[in-house]
Order: sequence, then C-alpha cells, then structure tokens
Amino acid sequence: MAATTSTWSKRSALVRAARLVRRTDDHHRRLYGRARLYGHAWSVFTWLVAILLFFPVLWMVLTSFKTEGKAYTDPPTIIFHPTLTEFSQVFSSGIGKPLEHSLFTTLVSTGAVLLLAVPAAYSLSIKPIKRWRDVMFFVLSTKMLPVVAAIIPIYIVARNIGILDNDWTLVILYTAMNMPIAVWMIRSFLLEVPIEVLDAARVDGAGLVTELTRVILPIVVPGLAATALICMIFSWNEFFFAVNLTATRAGTMPVFLVGFITSEGLYWAKLAAAASLASLPVVLLGWIAQKQLVRGLALGAVK
Amino acid sequence: MSARSTKSSVRPTSRTADHPLGQIAEPSLGPAASLEAAGPSGLGRKWAAVFLTPSAVLIGVFLIFPAAWTLYLGLTNFSLVGFAAAHTTFEGLANYRNAITDPEFGNSLLITLVYVFGSAIVGQVVLGFAMAWKWKDWRSPLRRAVEALAIIAWIVPSSVVAFLWISYLQGNIGPLVEQGTLDFILHISTNWLLQFPLLSLIIFNVWRGSAFSMMLFNGALQSVPPSYLETARISGASEFQQLRDVVLPRIKGHVLTDVLLISLWTFNDFTPYLLTAGGPNGQTETLPVFVYKVAFQQGNLGYASAISLIMLVINSVIAVVYLSLLRSRNT
Repeated sequence: MAATTSTWSKRSALVRAARLVRRTDDHHRRLYGRARLYGHAWSVFTWLVAILLFFPVLWMVLTSFKTEGKAYTDPPTIIFHPTLTEFSQVFSSGIGKPLEHSLFTTLVSTGAVLLLAVPAAYSLSIKPIKRWRDVMFFVLSTKMLPVVAAIIPIYIVARNIGILDNDWTLVILYTAMNMPIAVWMIRSFLLEVPIEVLDAARVDGAGLVTELTRVILPIVVPGLAATALICMIFSWNEFFFAVNLTATRAGTMPVFLVGFITSEGLYWAKLAAAASLASLPVVLLGWIAQKQLVRGLALGAVK
Repeated sequence: MSARSTKSSVRPTSRTADHPLGQIAEPSLGPAASLEAAGPSGLGRKWAAVFLTPSAVLIGVFLIFPAAWTLYLGLTNFSLVGFAAAHTTFEGLANYRNAITDPEFGNSLLITLVYVFGSAIVGQVVLGFAMAWKWKDWRSPLRRAVEALAIIAWIVPSSVVAFLWISYLQGNIGPLVEQGTLDFILHISTNWLLQFPLLSLIIFNVWRGSAFSMMLFNGALQSVPPSYLETARISGASEFQQLRDVVLPRIKGHVLTDVLLISLWTFNDFTPYLLTAGGPNGQTETLPVFVYKVAFQQGNLGYASAISLIMLVINSVIAVVYLSLLRSRNT
C-alpha cells in the first residue's frame, strides 16, 4: 500500500514536473518567439547572402562547360551535357604564353620575396636595430601610396631605360609590392618561436647560421608557406602594373583575359572557360592558405 | 659577431601580441628590451643591418622614389603629349589650385567617398560581420565549406570579376548577348551599369570584399569567451545587447583594423575602371579612375601627380586617425 502511494506520488511528481517544463517552455516561446523569428530571418538572410556571393562564380564555371549555343538560351539552361570543347578552344587561341608569363613572374617574385623578407623579418623580430618600430612603419607606409600614383614615375623610367614589356620588370615590381606584407607576416610568425628553444640552442653553442637554419626555420616553415601562398595570389591577380607595363611579350593572364573580353566578347562560354582557368590557381591557393590569409592581409596584425 | 656572448640576454619581454598591430603601438617595451640599455642582441647590429638592407632598399626605391617624383611632377606641367611634353616648366602650386576649382575633381572625390563609405565601411563591415556572427556556432566542417565558397568572390583576379559582373549586370560584351544574366533570371531588361552605375559598383564591391571582413571577424569572435555570451543570454540580453555590450568591446581593435584596411583598399581600388571606365558621364569616376584618365588618356601627368599626392595625403590621414584611435583604446 505504501509502495503504491509512493509510486503514485512519484508519478504525479513527474507529471507535474513535465507540465511545469512545458509551461516554462510555452512561457519561453512566448517570451522569445519574436527573437527566434528574428534569428531565423537572420539565418535565411545569411544563407541567401552566401548563395548570392557564390552564384556569379558558379554561373561562370557552369557556363564554361556548356557549348556556345547553350550558353545564352532563354530561359537559361540548367541541365546540360558538360563538355570540354570551350577549354580546348581557349588553349588553341593562345593562352599558353600568358600562362607562362604569369607562372614565371609569380614563382620568381615569390622566391625573391622570401629570400629577402626572411632575413629582414628576422632582424626586425630580434630587434638589434634601433628604431625598429620606425622601420616597421616605413615598411607599412608603402601601402599608403596609391598604385595609380606609383605607376606614373615607374612607367616613365621603364620607358626611358627600355624595360617595358619585360617579364623581369614585373618580377621586380611584384617583389617590391609583396615585400611589406611578407616582412610583417613573417615577423609575426618569428615572434611565436618559443624563446626557450632559442636559449637552448644558444646554450648548446649554436651559431647564427645553425640557429637560423636548424632551429628557427623548421618552426616557421608553415608560416613561410602561408606567406608564399599569399604572395603568389597577389602576383597572379595583379592587373594594374601588368596592363600598363606589358603588351604581347610579357602580358600575364589577367591582361590576356581582359584583351580576350574585347576580342572574343561574342563567345560567352569560351570567355567563361578562360576566366575559370585564370581563377583556378588562386582559388586553390586560397583554400590551402585559408586560415592564414587574413593574418597576411592584415599585415600580421591579426591572428 | 662580437655580440654573440650577450645574445641570449634580450628577447623583448612584450610578446603579448593580442594587439591588432602586434607590438607596434604598445607604449613601452620595458627597460630590459631597451636596446640602448642592453646593447645589441641576437645577431648583432651589423648583421641585422645587412639582413635588413636589401628589402629596405627595394621598398625604399618603390616608395620614396615614386613619392618624391610624384611630388615633383605635381609642381610642373609635365605632359606626355603636346607642347608641354617638350617644354616642362615649373608651375608651383598651380595644379593644386586647379584641383580645388576643378568640378571634375570635386565630383570624383565625392563619388570616391560615397563608394568607400557605402561599399566598404557600411556594406563589407556589416555583411562580413553578419556572416561571421551567424556562422560562429556552426560545426566547423560545414562552416569551413561555406566560408570556402564565400572566399572565392574575394580571391579571383579582378579581371575575372570584371568579366563576371559585366556579363551579370550588363551583358552587352558582344552583339549576341544583350541581356545580363541577372536580367535573364528576373526576366527584365535593365542595363544596371548604365541606369544605376554607382549603386551597381557599391553592390559589386560589397560582393567582392565581404569575405575578407568575414574572415577577419571570424578570428576576432573566437576571442570572445562563449561563457560571456551565455551569461548575457541567460540574464535576458537581446542579440543586439549582446553584440553591443559583450562582443563589440572585445573586438574593437579588429573592427578598426578591418575598417582601415578595407577603406584604404577601396579608396585606391582600380577595379571600377574595368567595370564602367568611370562612365556614364563620370558617374562612377572614383579618384584612381580619374587620375588614370588624366594621366594616360589626357597625358597630363603634372596634374595627375598632384591629385595622386592629394590621395596619398588622404590615405595617410585615414591611417593616422586609425592609429590614434587604436592607441586611445589601449590606454
């Protein structure tokens, strides 16, 4: 008898508790219903934004796999037979040379940037330089000069000494252009090398070269890789110097593409294929460097 | 290399670099790190100078030389074509006086300000933040995937972007394609770039740049402890109150950095030229486009240099204002 009572009261306690929960739930729903609706609206909105951000690129990639005929039907063709015709068309209309120039300037300038920026960043992070802060600001201040302003003197000099339309001109310019970012970024990686490791190496009698190559370098290699990727993205995408200082002999992919828009404007699918090809390398690099990208662009200021 | 014996003595103590500019804006390094007191450390002053020189020279050549040349050209009537091309004369401040009264320059400055304010400061910051905030609690593979898609808009070359948006909004890159993709979808016929040129550019730039702000704020939001937000939520703070009272104070530095970077980029951005070339009727002629036209289409390099210098000054003012805001936040 006593047992049943206690079971009963337990049960009723449970029921009461459940009711209470439900009531509080209702209460909460009434209380936060508007907030929740507002939250849903936000979610829908951000999804929409994400889709809108991606849509033009998706459209380009889809179009590049269509034939010219399918590229501008009304209504737009969504289901189609993907074909590589337009890509082969692009390759036969002279994309090879610009591709070569782009690869050359991108890789050589990135190599040069690393070669010069690593020692500079090292001496700025260890700071035996007096007024290192001024040096860092000096490095940063290069970003204040608008490119359109820099192009005038550079163009005049390049014209006068006859290095217009030359791969090496772009290599030097891209090296200088990426140097500030690389120095700031590599320095921020160097500052993360644990001081204990350095001390230990020094106690063991490691010289400067050993310290640099055997101790510091292995630790910062991922950072250096990220820096290199970012420099590559910038060099590959750079348009303004390239279009003003090169023509047929050193024109890079972006220059080729813009020329292509004028000359092949009729052929939408072909253009989309060329544009997709020009984008592919940087998109891949960007995905690999995704985590470090912001840090590099904020000049190593944000982690 | 004589300094090697003392080299372990100094590594700056201030490695608390949660500051947006690393240690740069930090007021003091502490006495141990003061180099006059401690003497050269690490690799010694001589070697440090050797290490630093090549890149400093390269940067100097491409900063000081163009800047000085621009300063000089701005004071002359230097020109690529016509009489002045052969007879460059010193004109003093004439170019600057012209700029003040030139309605085209005034128009261009105004357009640039609207462009920077609308697309960068309002559009990219707000949208970028909204995305970062909304996706903050998602499981990380999904979030990374969505972010990876959003980043594409920001990372593809500007020439590709120009092609995309022309075909998207205008479509008349060839005689066959009279409608933009957007018109296809909406079944209307509007030449967006002609009818709403500046608005199109602003929307375009929001599209182009929001991913960067999103990535930057992503990092920033990770520095806000979830327990703070939880506490705020339990005590009944609305989303807006949480943002204002909990999140914003903690990420102020990031917001400032973001605003600085994207205002500078947008201010100097040349991509509008690829989309509209400043037209129609100069309605989208931002300062870089204006300078470019004056310099390379009209050949008036003197005047273009003067305007470039004005741009340089505006850039520096933006940067200085930002840095002082950052400092005042610190103290």
